[in-house]
Amino acid sequence: MGRPGLNRRHLLTAAGGLAVAGSFGFAALGTGADALASGADTRVRYWNLFSGGDGANMIAMLDAFRKATPGIDVKDSTLQWGNPFYTKLAMAAAGNRAPDLGVMHMGRVTGFSPGRLLDPWDVDLLAKYGVREQDFNPLLWQRGVIDGELYALPLDIHVQLCFYRKDVLGKAGLLGDDGRMVEVTSTDEWFDVLKRAKAVQKKGLQTIGLWTNDQNFQWWFFVAFYTQLGGQWFNDDNTEVLFDPDKATQVLEFLRRHVTDGYVIPGAPTGEQFVNGAPFTWEGNWSVPVFSGAKLDYGATPLPPVFGKPATHAESHAFVLPHQADRGGPANEGAHELAAYVVKHALQWAAGGHIPAYTPTLSTPAYKKLTPQNEYVGAMDHQATEPKVWFAGSTGVLAQDLGPVVVSSTMGSAKPASVAQTMRKRLTKLLASKNPMDGRTAAQGGAVA
Amino acid sequence: MTTSAHMSTSAQTVVAPARARTATAAATVRRRQGFQHGGWFVAPFLLLFVLFVVWPLLRGVYLSFTDANISGDGASFVGLDNYREALNDAAMWDALGHSAYFTLLVVPCITVLAFLLAMLAHNIERGKWLWRLCFFVPFLLPSTVAANMFQWLFTQGIGLINQTFGLDTPWLTDKSYAMLAIVIMTLWWTVGFSFLLYLAALQGIPDHLYEAAKLDGANAWHRMVHITLPMLRNITGLVIALQILASLQLFDQAVVMMDFGPGPELSTRSFVQYTLEQGFTSYRVGYASAMSIIFFVIIAVIALARMWLLRNREEGAR
Amino acid sequence: MTSTQIRIKSRRPWTPSQIVLTLIGVAVSAVFVTPIAAALFTSFKSEAEAAEIPPHWLPEVWTTQAWTALWETGNVTNWFVNSLVVSVCVTSVVLTVSALAGYGFARTEFRGKSVLMGIVMSGLMISPAVLGVPLFTTVQQMGMVDTYWGMILPQCAPAAMVYILYKFFQGIPRELEEAAFIDGAGRWRVFFTIVVPLARPSLAAVGIFTFIASWNNFLWPYMVTNNPDLMTMPNGIATVMNSYGIQWAQLMAGGLMAGLPLIVVFVFFQRQIVAGVAHTGLAGQ
Repeated sequence: MGRPGLNRRHLLTAAGGLAVAGSFGFAALGTGADALASGADTRVRYWNLFSGGDGANMIAMLDAFRKATPGIDVKDSTLQWGNPFYTKLAMAAAGNRAPDLGVMHMGRVTGFSPGRLLDPWDVDLLAKYGVREQDFNPLLWQRGVIDGELYALPLDIHVQLCFYRKDVLGKAGLLGDDGRMVEVTSTDEWFDVLKRAKAVQKKGLQTIGLWTNDQNFQWWFFVAFYTQLGGQWFNDDNTEVLFDPDKATQVLEFLRRHVTDGYVIPGAPTGEQFVNGAPFTWEGNWSVPVFSGAKLDYGATPLPPVFGKPATHAESHAFVLPHQADRGGPANEGAHELAAYVVKHALQWAAGGHIPAYTPTLSTPAYKKLTPQNEYVGAMDHQATEPKVWFAGSTGVLAQDLGPVVVSSTMGSAKPASVAQTMRKRLTKLLASKNPMDGRTAAQGGAVA
Repeated sequence: MTTSAHMSTSAQTVVAPARARTATAAATVRRRQGFQHGGWFVAPFLLLFVLFVVWPLLRGVYLSFTDANISGDGASFVGLDNYREALNDAAMWDALGHSAYFTLLVVPCITVLAFLLAMLAHNIERGKWLWRLCFFVPFLLPSTVAANMFQWLFTQGIGLINQTFGLDTPWLTDKSYAMLAIVIMTLWWTVGFSFLLYLAALQGIPDHLYEAAKLDGANAWHRMVHITLPMLRNITGLVIALQILASLQLFDQAVVMMDFGPGPELSTRSFVQYTLEQGFTSYRVGYASAMSIIFFVIIAVIALARMWLLRNREEGAR
Repeated sequence: MTSTQIRIKSRRPWTPSQIVLTLIGVAVSAVFVTPIAAALFTSFKSEAEAAEIPPHWLPEVWTTQAWTALWETGNVTNWFVNSLVVSVCVTSVVLTVSALAGYGFARTEFRGKSVLMGIVMSGLMISPAVLGVPLFTTVQQMGMVDTYWGMILPQCAPAAMVYILYKFFQGIPRELEEAAFIDGAGRWRVFFTIVVPLARPSLAAVGIFTFIASWNNFLWPYMVTNNPDLMTMPNGIATVMNSYGIQWAQLMAGGLMAGLPLIVVFVFFQRQIVAGVAHTGLAGQ
């Protein structure tokens, strides 16, 4: 280390002083320039939770909107996905600092105290901008309706898919004439498919990626197959648990069998295995850009209907109006116009693998050309969703309580039958518990049904 | 365990109030030269301290008796309900157990390892700066970066740890290994700090003690047992205390290595993580506050126990 | 340790025990450095190669794609600036207030001092990990969620630093100050012209430590920011970069970018930092 000369010390002092002064200036500016403070009357403040590829698509759509409607200034803020986003949106709505427009997962809407933290959409105003109920899948639209009012305007649905590698399945003779995976209608057929794929696949890899250790994925898969079996959760009044442990056991045993039959390496990274040559992986449709980017020859179908009835887990991004005491005026109308525009121009959105909720988009030639999107678009009509209660929704309390026990069954540390009983017990407890946001149980908030 | 946790606890141990009080009393006697405005020196710190330490603590106590949610309105008084629920909440005890298990694994390992590393670095005559740099450098990485590195090294299939040792262990995805992986990462990441403390203490042992012992014919082993170890007693107490308090606050590396989840079958969900989940996922600020207060009491009891031990020892030495 | 000592020592012969110890030292050092080296190598792989099974240490095809991608998306440079702003602000505030308070507690008298001192010392037990949720709601009430100040100010009341400086100021001979008082200097002037210059090594230790802690702090910035534009390095890397399917090469490049500044600083100021860590730690004895 050199001599601590006087020059160096001077230099350091000067640099240090500059850094300190600059930092304080920056920090002061950063707060001062917080553009979330309310602005001109035609300004629409919009919070979303899209980063990465989705974020880029959303920004492109916003830019298109800005060009099309120069009178409206959109100030968009991207926040981190997950619970922090909901926390922050809730706080802003409660503190009356809410943005004009927000995005949520459909399943979380019920728990978000519609009427208190969310304002209803003006359906006539939406119609003025070209968005009408008949342009949507009726079940999807109804998920956003609470007490007869529309609280969530669906933008897309995103589903769990069975991704398969055409190169491997072709070798195993598992591709049909259309170049897509053969149909599967029972568990036996499914395991037969796995067996044949395993025979020809690259050694050292797993046959299927199942996220066996991930409580979210395992929960989503459970919901899908439980729905295929026609399983129910609660009665219409949300006063009684109708969860069927026998059906649940069937599903849990099915998931478990992938591990016991050796088709899964528990814990192996699913996406990486698939890219390296594993024949199957079950993932959300958001993996489409990843696999397409890796230039794989692959297809994607909804989760196989092994229990007869097709159904795959689906969630939905939806536009919401966070509660503002004085909602109305140009900003509110601008929010309606913006949401309607994005919903109608969601082709770009489909590049992220999501299925646009606005059905006219699905029949456009441009969408029909998208692969593998065109292969799983039918999932729209077979959605398996969580029950419509306050504790449901993406990474919500329900998934957090039940996901880990599903994992424990799939991983083999608990017996499927006893796990099914545990699940029923937890559902009973949840049904009796109060929503911390408004102090009401699911039944009391149950005007929903 | 964050560096700030290290830091904020570093003086923790310290507060032998008896000593402080004597010093103050002496000062009072010695000078009364009209420094009544001395309070102004303390005021800026006190302002920040009240706003961001005292007030949140009081607020936490208040919230713990309510059913407050994250929106901050409409809270009502629920008495001891939150505490009653917490004490009966198996998930909370599990989480506390995970933090305690982590602490039990980390503290002895780090103490021994740090001592051995310090002895090594102290006794090699050449390149001291190099050993210091190598052993300490991981500590300079942000917790999340270090955790990401180990997440990648431990991942089955693409990870270099299994590859190097010819294993196929599901480190991050099996409940019997997950915490172990976090412990290994933590050892690598934080041992440097305790190592430096030991090294400084070793350098502080006067040479003449060793020289005298050599003249008496003591061999290296005897010198270590009869000089080095006793001279390091205080620093060992300090290292252990700091590590216990920091380890109990396990959060960063566990959530990052487990992709912000609770680990395989909830096996790595720490107390801090569970508290934050209650507050920010379930919106139960009242309940989360009650857990925070419980945690504060646990930490306080440990700190007081150490203080008590220290004082006993001092008195015993007298 | 001074350079003269080193020179004297390195003239000593290689005894067998020194050879063995040095070999052990080299081996152990390798273990410590390997993960960082592996991360560095991986940052020069393509994403496909970084996720290849089985893995290998060195890139087969060297590429800087991860680093350029990092640069182009802009997030990371943003976070770097944020980290710098937050750490510099925290460090300067902490140095100022804890030097004043340490001196106030050590050398001045005012009513209620000992009670206050006791309260401050019990603050040593409180950290965002312990009191996270109530601290968050407090900051939320102040309207500082998702602001720089919301990140900075709660890091600015470390009782530990006050205690360290308090101990140091107690050790300064009073005679030095008294001479100045006799010359008619006031309390503040004495503080700035005599005490602060004497305390420079301690202040450096506190400053260095605070900077490291603040630069690396994850939990509090994680709790208090949601806006990716405002995130600091550790937070952005852990949350945003992880959220869209992990790209290992980019993640390692980003991590190194977060870690390198402190490592470089350490290489240049090793002596001061080691003294600082030892000093802050040992003050606790």
